[in-house]
Amino acid sequence: MNEDTWVVVRCFNESSVVGQVIEGLRQHFPNVVGVDDGSTDDSGAVMAAAGASVVRHSVNLGPGAALQTGLQYALLDPKADYLLCFDADGQHRVDDAVSMMARMRKGDIEVLVGSRFLGAADGMPRQRRLVLTVGRWFERLSSGIRLSDGHNGLRAFTRAFASQVDLTMSDMAYASELLAIIARSGVAYDEHPVTIDYTDYSLHKGQRSINSVNIALDVWIHRLLRGRRR
Amino acid sequence: MTLIKVLLVVSFVGLFVWAFRNRAAVGLRAGLRVFAVVLTSLAIASVLVPDLLQAMADFVGVTRGTDLLLYGLVVVFGTTAVGTYFRFRELERRLAEVVRADAIRDAILTDGIPGQPVQEDRS
Repeated sequence: MNEDTWVVVRCFNESSVVGQVIEGLRQHFPNVVGVDDGSTDDSGAVMAAAGASVVRHSVNLGPGAALQTGLQYALLDPKADYLLCFDADGQHRVDDAVSMMARMRKGDIEVLVGSRFLGAADGMPRQRRLVLTVGRWFERLSSGIRLSDGHNGLRAFTRAFASQVDLTMSDMAYASELLAIIARSGVAYDEHPVTIDYTDYSLHKGQRSINSVNIALDVWIHRLLRGRRR
Repeated sequence: MTLIKVLLVVSFVGLFVWAFRNRAAVGLRAGLRVFAVVLTSLAIASVLVPDLLQAMADFVGVTRGTDLLLYGLVVVFGTTAVGTYFRFRELERRLAEVVRADAIRDAILTDGIPGQPVQEDRS
Protein backbone atom coordinates (compact mmCIF):
# COMPACT_ATOMS: atom_id res chain seq x y z
CA MET A 1 0.00 0.00 0.00
CA ASN A 2 1.88 3.03 -1.30
CA GLU A 3 5.13 1.88 0.30
CA ASP A 4 6.95 3.54 -2.56
CA THR A 5 5.41 6.95 -1.86
CA TRP A 6 6.40 9.72 0.53
CA VAL A 7 3.94 12.43 1.43
CA VAL A 8 5.43 15.83 2.27
CA VAL A 9 3.36 17.92 4.67
CA ARG A 10 4.83 21.31 5.44
CA CYS A 11 3.52 22.97 8.47
CA PHE A 12 3.83 26.32 10.23
CA ASN A 13 1.79 26.71 13.42
CA GLU A 14 -1.03 24.34 12.51
CA SER A 15 -1.05 22.17 15.63
CA SER A 16 -4.86 22.22 15.90
CA VAL A 17 -5.43 20.49 12.54
CA VAL A 18 -2.20 18.90 11.36
CA GLY A 19 -2.59 15.86 13.61
CA GLN A 20 -5.87 14.83 11.97
CA VAL A 21 -4.43 15.51 8.52
CA ILE A 22 -1.49 13.19 9.12
CA GLU A 23 -3.61 10.49 10.74
CA GLY A 24 -5.88 10.59 7.68
CA LEU A 25 -2.92 10.32 5.33
CA ARG A 26 -1.42 7.46 7.28
CA GLN A 27 -4.50 5.33 6.57
CA HIS A 28 -3.23 5.09 3.00
CA PHE A 29 0.37 6.30 3.04
CA PRO A 30 2.80 4.76 5.54
CA ASN A 31 5.55 7.28 4.74
CA VAL A 32 4.75 10.84 5.76
CA VAL A 33 7.35 13.52 6.41
CA GLY A 34 6.18 16.54 8.35
CA VAL A 35 8.31 19.61 7.81
CA ASP A 36 7.91 21.84 10.83
CA ASP A 37 8.87 25.23 9.43
CA GLY A 38 9.99 26.76 12.69
CA SER A 39 6.57 26.66 14.34
CA THR A 40 6.20 28.38 17.68
CA ASP A 41 3.46 25.99 18.76
CA ASP A 42 3.79 22.22 19.24
CA SER A 43 3.10 21.33 15.59
CA GLY A 44 6.26 19.23 15.43
CA ALA A 45 5.28 17.08 18.41
CA VAL A 46 1.71 16.73 17.11
CA MET A 47 2.99 15.51 13.74
CA ALA A 48 5.37 13.04 15.34
CA ALA A 49 2.57 11.71 17.57
CA ALA A 50 0.38 11.24 14.49
CA GLY A 51 3.06 9.04 12.97
CA ALA A 52 5.05 11.36 10.70
CA SER A 53 8.81 11.61 10.47
CA VAL A 54 9.46 15.19 11.51
CA VAL A 55 12.10 17.46 10.03
CA ARG A 56 12.30 20.72 11.91
CA HIS A 57 13.60 24.05 10.59
CA SER A 58 15.19 25.94 13.44
CA VAL A 59 13.83 29.20 12.02
CA ASN A 60 10.81 29.91 9.83
CA LEU A 61 11.87 29.95 6.18
CA GLY A 62 8.60 29.81 4.25
CA PRO A 63 6.58 27.26 2.30
CA GLY A 64 8.97 26.96 -0.66
CA ALA A 65 11.96 26.19 1.54
CA ALA A 66 9.90 23.74 3.60
CA LEU A 67 8.75 21.86 0.50
CA GLN A 68 12.33 21.61 -0.73
CA THR A 69 13.43 20.24 2.63
CA GLY A 70 10.65 17.64 2.63
CA LEU A 71 11.53 16.50 -0.89
CA GLN A 72 15.22 16.25 -0.12
CA TYR A 73 14.54 14.26 3.03
CA ALA A 74 12.13 11.86 1.30
CA LEU A 75 14.52 11.32 -1.61
CA LEU A 76 17.05 9.90 0.85
CA ASP A 77 14.82 6.81 0.89
CA PRO A 78 15.92 4.79 -2.14
CA LYS A 79 12.47 3.15 -2.22
CA ALA A 80 10.75 6.52 -2.73
CA ASP A 81 9.49 6.36 -6.31
CA TYR A 82 6.73 8.93 -5.88
CA LEU A 83 6.45 12.11 -3.83
CA LEU A 84 3.20 13.75 -2.93
CA CYS A 85 2.73 17.26 -1.50
CA PHE A 86 -0.20 17.80 0.82
CA ASP A 87 -1.17 20.95 2.74
CA ALA A 88 -1.28 20.82 6.51
CA ASP A 89 -4.39 22.94 7.02
CA GLY A 90 -6.96 20.30 6.09
CA GLN A 91 -8.11 21.82 2.80
CA HIS A 92 -7.19 18.71 0.79
CA ARG A 93 -8.88 15.31 0.83
CA VAL A 94 -6.95 12.09 1.27
CA ASP A 95 -9.23 10.41 -1.30
CA ASP A 96 -7.96 12.86 -3.90
CA ALA A 97 -4.37 12.00 -3.00
CA VAL A 98 -5.16 8.30 -3.41
CA SER A 99 -6.74 8.78 -6.83
CA MET A 100 -3.85 11.01 -7.91
CA MET A 101 -1.44 8.20 -7.04
CA ALA A 102 -3.52 5.81 -9.14
CA ARG A 103 -3.15 8.26 -12.03
CA MET A 104 0.61 8.57 -11.46
CA ARG A 105 1.04 4.79 -11.55
CA LYS A 106 -0.10 4.67 -15.15
CA GLY A 107 3.44 5.88 -15.73
CA ASP A 108 2.95 8.31 -18.58
CA ILE A 109 3.52 11.52 -16.62
CA GLU A 110 6.12 12.86 -14.21
CA VAL A 111 4.06 15.58 -12.56
CA LEU A 112 0.41 15.69 -11.56
CA VAL A 113 -1.13 18.85 -10.11
CA GLY A 114 -4.51 19.02 -8.44
CA SER A 115 -7.09 21.41 -9.82
CA ARG A 116 -9.99 22.81 -7.87
CA PHE A 117 -11.42 24.21 -11.08
CA LEU A 118 -11.77 20.77 -12.62
CA GLY A 119 -13.01 19.47 -9.30
CA ALA A 120 -14.83 21.39 -6.63
CA ALA A 121 -14.08 24.19 -4.25
CA ASP A 122 -16.95 24.60 -1.87
CA GLY A 123 -17.21 27.96 -0.26
CA MET A 124 -14.42 29.54 -2.27
CA PRO A 125 -14.71 33.29 -1.85
CA ARG A 126 -15.28 35.18 -5.08
CA GLN A 127 -12.17 37.25 -4.51
CA ARG A 128 -10.04 34.11 -4.25
CA ARG A 129 -11.48 32.82 -7.51
CA LEU A 130 -10.59 36.09 -9.24
CA VAL A 131 -7.03 36.06 -7.92
CA LEU A 132 -6.52 32.46 -9.04
CA THR A 133 -7.87 33.23 -12.50
CA VAL A 134 -5.51 36.17 -12.92
CA GLY A 135 -2.72 33.99 -11.57
CA ARG A 136 -3.45 31.34 -14.16
CA TRP A 137 -2.92 33.84 -16.97
CA PHE A 138 0.17 35.17 -15.29
CA GLU A 139 1.68 31.68 -15.24
CA ARG A 140 0.66 30.94 -18.78
CA LEU A 141 2.42 34.10 -19.95
CA SER A 142 5.54 33.71 -17.87
CA SER A 143 6.24 29.97 -17.95
CA GLY A 144 4.04 28.64 -20.75
CA ILE A 145 2.60 26.03 -18.40
CA ARG A 146 -1.06 25.37 -19.09
CA LEU A 147 -2.69 24.41 -15.84
CA SER A 148 -6.07 25.56 -14.63
CA ASP A 149 -4.87 25.68 -11.01
CA GLY A 150 -1.07 25.74 -10.91
CA HIS A 151 -0.97 27.01 -7.34
CA ASN A 152 -2.86 24.06 -5.91
CA GLY A 153 -0.95 22.60 -2.97
CA LEU A 154 -1.78 18.99 -3.86
CA ARG A 155 0.87 17.73 -6.26
CA ALA A 156 2.51 14.42 -7.13
CA PHE A 157 5.98 13.96 -8.58
CA THR A 158 8.01 11.01 -9.75
CA ARG A 159 11.40 10.55 -8.17
CA ALA A 160 13.08 11.61 -11.42
CA PHE A 161 11.30 14.95 -11.43
CA ALA A 162 11.56 15.58 -7.70
CA SER A 163 15.33 15.18 -7.94
CA GLN A 164 15.42 18.09 -10.37
CA VAL A 165 13.48 20.44 -8.12
CA ASP A 166 15.72 23.11 -6.62
CA LEU A 167 13.47 25.79 -5.18
CA THR A 168 15.35 28.95 -4.26
CA MET A 169 12.37 31.15 -3.46
CA SER A 170 11.51 30.42 0.13
CA ASP A 171 8.19 32.24 0.27
CA MET A 172 4.91 31.70 -1.59
CA ALA A 173 6.58 32.66 -4.89
CA TYR A 174 7.88 29.08 -4.92
CA ALA A 175 4.67 27.95 -6.66
CA SER A 176 5.57 30.02 -9.72
CA GLU A 177 9.16 28.86 -9.51
CA LEU A 178 7.98 25.26 -9.45
CA LEU A 179 5.94 25.79 -12.62
CA ALA A 180 9.02 27.29 -14.26
CA ILE A 181 10.99 24.18 -13.25
CA ILE A 182 8.31 21.96 -14.79
CA ALA A 183 8.49 24.02 -17.99
CA ARG A 184 12.30 23.98 -18.04
CA SER A 185 12.59 20.24 -17.48
CA GLY A 186 10.12 19.51 -20.26
CA VAL A 187 8.51 16.58 -18.43
CA ALA A 188 5.01 15.36 -19.18
CA TYR A 189 2.50 16.78 -16.72
CA ASP A 190 -1.22 16.68 -16.20
CA GLU A 191 -3.84 17.92 -13.80
CA HIS A 192 -6.35 16.06 -11.75
CA PRO A 193 -9.70 17.21 -10.37
CA VAL A 194 -9.59 17.64 -6.61
CA THR A 195 -11.87 19.14 -4.01
CA ILE A 196 -10.74 21.97 -1.80
CA ASP A 197 -12.59 22.35 1.47
CA TYR A 198 -12.66 25.99 2.39
CA THR A 199 -13.12 25.78 6.11
CA ASP A 200 -13.12 28.82 8.34
CA TYR A 201 -9.78 27.61 9.56
CA SER A 202 -8.11 27.36 6.16
CA LEU A 203 -9.55 30.69 5.05
CA HIS A 204 -8.27 32.34 8.17
CA LYS A 205 -4.83 30.79 7.81
CA GLY A 206 -4.60 31.24 4.05
CA GLN A 207 -2.70 34.07 2.50
CA ARG A 208 -4.27 37.41 1.82
CA SER A 209 -5.19 37.93 -1.81
CA ILE A 210 -3.23 41.14 -2.04
CA ASN A 211 -0.07 39.17 -1.35
CA SER A 212 -0.30 37.79 -4.87
CA VAL A 213 0.83 41.22 -6.09
CA ASN A 214 4.02 40.86 -4.05
CA ILE A 215 4.54 37.36 -5.38
CA ALA A 216 4.01 38.33 -9.01
CA LEU A 217 6.45 41.24 -8.72
CA ASP A 218 9.03 39.04 -7.01
CA VAL A 219 8.75 36.41 -9.68
CA TRP A 220 9.15 38.84 -12.54
CA ILE A 221 11.95 40.88 -11.01
CA HIS A 222 13.70 37.64 -10.24
CA ARG A 223 13.30 36.37 -13.77
CA LEU A 224 14.28 39.66 -15.42
CA LEU A 225 17.35 40.39 -13.36
CA ARG A 226 18.38 36.89 -12.34
CA GLY A 227 21.77 36.99 -14.04
CA ARG A 228 24.51 34.47 -13.72
CA ARG A 229 24.99 32.43 -10.59
CA ARG A 230 28.28 32.94 -8.90
CA MET B 1 8.69 64.51 -25.63
CA THR B 2 11.15 64.26 -28.46
CA LEU B 3 12.19 60.96 -29.95
CA ILE B 4 15.71 61.24 -28.59
CA LYS B 5 14.33 61.32 -25.05
CA VAL B 6 12.36 58.14 -25.63
CA LEU B 7 15.44 56.45 -27.03
CA LEU B 8 17.56 57.63 -24.11
CA VAL B 9 15.07 56.40 -21.52
CA VAL B 10 14.69 53.01 -23.23
CA SER B 11 18.43 52.55 -23.56
CA PHE B 12 19.02 53.48 -19.91
CA VAL B 13 16.45 50.93 -18.75
CA GLY B 14 18.02 48.35 -21.07
CA LEU B 15 21.49 49.17 -19.76
CA PHE B 16 20.21 48.84 -16.19
CA VAL B 17 18.72 45.40 -16.82
CA TRP B 18 21.82 44.27 -18.68
CA ALA B 19 24.10 45.54 -15.94
CA PHE B 20 22.16 43.62 -13.31
CA ARG B 21 22.01 40.41 -15.23
CA ASN B 22 25.78 40.56 -15.49
CA ARG B 23 26.39 41.95 -12.04
CA ALA B 24 28.76 39.11 -11.15
CA ALA B 25 31.25 40.23 -13.81
CA VAL B 26 34.38 41.67 -12.21
CA GLY B 27 34.85 44.43 -14.76
CA LEU B 28 31.34 45.70 -14.21
CA ARG B 29 31.66 45.76 -10.46
CA ALA B 30 34.92 47.68 -10.79
CA GLY B 31 33.20 50.10 -13.17
CA LEU B 32 30.41 50.68 -10.68
CA ARG B 33 32.91 51.50 -7.96
CA VAL B 34 34.78 53.92 -10.18
CA PHE B 35 31.42 55.53 -10.98
CA ALA B 36 30.68 55.85 -7.26
CA VAL B 37 34.05 57.49 -6.65
CA VAL B 38 33.51 59.93 -9.53
CA LEU B 39 30.03 60.80 -8.23
CA THR B 40 31.37 61.43 -4.75
CA SER B 41 34.15 63.64 -6.07
CA LEU B 42 31.60 65.60 -8.09
CA ALA B 43 29.42 65.98 -5.00
CA ILE B 44 32.33 67.42 -3.04
CA ALA B 45 33.30 69.67 -5.94
CA SER B 46 29.75 70.99 -6.24
CA VAL B 47 29.75 71.95 -2.58
CA LEU B 48 32.98 73.90 -3.01
CA VAL B 49 31.93 75.41 -6.34
CA PRO B 50 28.09 75.71 -6.23
CA ASP B 51 27.87 76.93 -9.81
CA LEU B 52 29.52 73.75 -11.10
CA LEU B 53 26.28 71.76 -10.97
CA GLN B 54 24.43 74.39 -13.03
CA ALA B 55 27.29 74.54 -15.51
CA MET B 56 27.13 70.78 -15.93
CA ALA B 57 23.35 70.90 -16.34
CA ASP B 58 23.73 73.54 -19.03
CA PHE B 59 26.33 71.41 -20.73
CA VAL B 60 24.15 68.28 -20.96
CA GLY B 61 21.00 70.25 -21.73
CA VAL B 62 19.12 69.88 -18.44
CA THR B 63 17.34 73.05 -17.34
CA ARG B 64 18.37 73.20 -13.72
CA GLY B 65 21.30 71.87 -11.75
CA THR B 66 18.94 70.55 -9.09
CA ASP B 67 17.17 68.48 -11.76
CA LEU B 68 20.47 66.95 -12.79
CA LEU B 69 21.10 66.09 -9.16
CA LEU B 70 17.63 64.53 -8.93
CA TYR B 71 18.26 62.30 -11.95
CA GLY B 72 21.55 61.19 -10.50
CA LEU B 73 19.89 60.38 -7.18
CA VAL B 74 17.15 58.37 -8.87
CA VAL B 75 19.75 56.27 -10.66
CA VAL B 76 21.76 55.71 -7.49
CA PHE B 77 18.67 54.89 -5.45
CA GLY B 78 17.31 52.47 -8.05
CA THR B 79 20.61 50.67 -8.34
CA THR B 80 20.99 50.42 -4.59
CA ALA B 81 17.43 49.16 -4.08
CA VAL B 82 17.72 46.41 -6.67
CA GLY B 83 21.18 45.49 -5.45
CA THR B 84 19.90 45.16 -1.90
CA TYR B 85 16.95 43.09 -3.09
CA PHE B 86 19.26 40.58 -4.69
CA ARG B 87 21.65 40.52 -1.77
CA PHE B 88 18.73 39.63 0.47
CA ARG B 89 17.51 36.95 -1.91
CA GLU B 90 20.95 35.40 -2.00
CA LEU B 91 21.28 35.60 1.76
CA GLU B 92 17.85 34.01 2.18
CA ARG B 93 18.85 31.20 -0.14
CA ARG B 94 22.02 30.54 1.83
CA LEU B 95 20.16 30.65 5.14
CA ALA B 96 17.65 28.14 3.78
CA GLU B 97 20.47 25.80 2.79
CA VAL B 98 22.06 25.95 6.22
CA VAL B 99 18.77 25.46 8.09
CA ARG B 100 17.75 22.63 5.74
CA ALA B 101 21.01 20.74 6.10
CA ASP B 102 20.78 21.09 9.87
CA ALA B 103 17.11 19.99 9.95
CA ILE B 104 17.72 16.90 7.83
CA ARG B 105 20.76 15.90 9.85
CA ASP B 106 18.78 16.24 13.07
CA ALA B 107 15.93 14.15 11.67
CA ILE B 108 18.35 11.42 10.60
CA LEU B 109 19.95 11.41 14.06
CA THR B 110 16.58 10.80 15.72
CA ASP B 111 14.69 8.67 13.16
CA GLY B 112 17.46 7.22 11.02
CA ILE B 113 17.75 7.53 7.27
CA PRO B 114 14.24 7.46 5.76
CA GLY B 115 13.31 3.95 4.71
CA GLN B 116 15.98 2.52 7.00
CA PRO B 117 14.84 3.19 10.58
CA VAL B 118 17.45 3.11 13.33
CA GLN B 119 18.02 -0.28 14.90
CA GLU B 120 16.42 -0.50 18.31
CA ASP B 121 19.37 -2.41 19.73
CA ARG B 122 21.31 0.81 20.37
CA SER B 123 21.32 1.37 24.08
